[in-house]
Amino acid sequence: MLMNQIRTSLLLIFGLSLPSLLAAATVYESQAEFLARAFSDSQPQPGIAWLSGERKSTVQQLLGHDYPALRLRYWCQDQRSAWILEEVGKELPITVGIVVDKDYIKSLRVLTYRENRGGEVATPSFTDQFNHRVLQENGTLDAAIDGISGATLSVKALTRLATMALFLHSDTGCKDGA
Amino acid sequence: MAHKKAKASAVRRLHRSFGAGASLFLMFMVLSGLTINHSNGLGLDQRHVTQPLLLGWYGLGGPENINSFQTAEHWLSFAGSQLYLNAAPVSTISNGIGAVSMGGMIVVAGSDELLLLDGEGSLIERLSANAIGAGPIESIGLLEGQTVTVKSMGQLWLADAELLSWSPSPDSAEAPVWSLPQPTPDTLRQTLSRQYRGEGPSIERVLLEFNSGRIFGPVGVLVYDLLALAVGFLAVSGLVFWSRGRRNSKRKN
Repeated sequence: MLMNQIRTSLLLIFGLSLPSLLAAATVYESQAEFLARAFSDSQPQPGIAWLSGERKSTVQQLLGHDYPALRLRYWCQDQRSAWILEEVGKELPITVGIVVDKDYIKSLRVLTYRENRGGEVATPSFTDQFNHRVLQENGTLDAAIDGISGATLSVKALTRLATMALFLHSDTGCKDGA
Repeated sequence: MAHKKAKASAVRRLHRSFGAGASLFLMFMVLSGLTINHSNGLGLDQRHVTQPLLLGWYGLGGPENINSFQTAEHWLSFAGSQLYLNAAPVSTISNGIGAVSMGGMIVVAGSDELLLLDGEGSLIERLSANAIGAGPIESIGLLEGQTVTVKSMGQLWLADAELLSWSPSPDSAEAPVWSLPQPTPDTLRQTLSRQYRGEGPSIERVLLEFNSGRIFGPVGVLVYDLLALAVGFLAVSGLVFWSRGRRNSKRKN
């Protein structure tokens, strides 16, 4: 009887702690895979975008806070740029790879997701909403992104990063073929 | 009659035992109560506990280990997942394994990422080992005093001058000077331990918790309850003995 109770308690404890055990970061795509997808023919050398001066303040306006680094590496070739950016959803940073072509988003993919909940934002059915979105003058995307119940903060984080990538694509001159 | 006397004697003995036992408790309550009453005037609500024993009791223990690495101008220290530049917290990194400085910038290595800092500790870039192309990072060092080198799974990876691109080292490359842990200077260790713990509770709060027994948890509150009942018993038994003594002295007169 006592053994049964102990066994039941252990199973209950294990069952309750299972979600936290499963909460490790999920890597959906590595940087190399992301870049190979972005530039199928030949991968360009990385460039540096320093976040200082007016660029820094614009990024701050788009994100609502400072980006937690002073420089970003990006890859630019033939008016196409690839960005690997991070933004905190609820508590942990989400790593996102964004490809911008001319003036629109060609693709947005979650590379690493670290939060316990809200991983649905990594599904292509959600991220495909960002395809062909452009940045309006008021600093927002030209169409609303449908939210996901229980992943509101992650959806907002991805939306902020999408606007940031579009801005940086233009600000670094990649949009004009620089 | 004899039974009554024996009963009175037992109560008197109990009164004496409780009195002796409760006296220390009472003295402590009086002193702590007086201090709490004047804590604002004494500034105890503004002063914080710094004694390691008390901080440990509150779960504000120091770091288990502090690993420090010296670069040309700075000390980089890892306490848990917190990274310090000299004594200032700058960022977080897991499993810190070394740091090197190059051209005014500092490169800090953890097992799965590199942090690039400027000379003041601002984070320039966070670079995952995955982005380098390497696996878990084992060591970081400088090759010929200028090329940042990391070792991963037995392979050396060399960075370019701006730490943008990494390439595997040719076999003929010289051995880099690896960043190795150094004994943390005592003053720095003390400062880092203090920073890691953060600000302790105010002295007023500790006194209040001592005064209520809560500092010892539910058992402390229970013990204080029993001591308070003992004091109550003392008051009642004292009154009884006083009234009896008064009655007896009247009879004698």
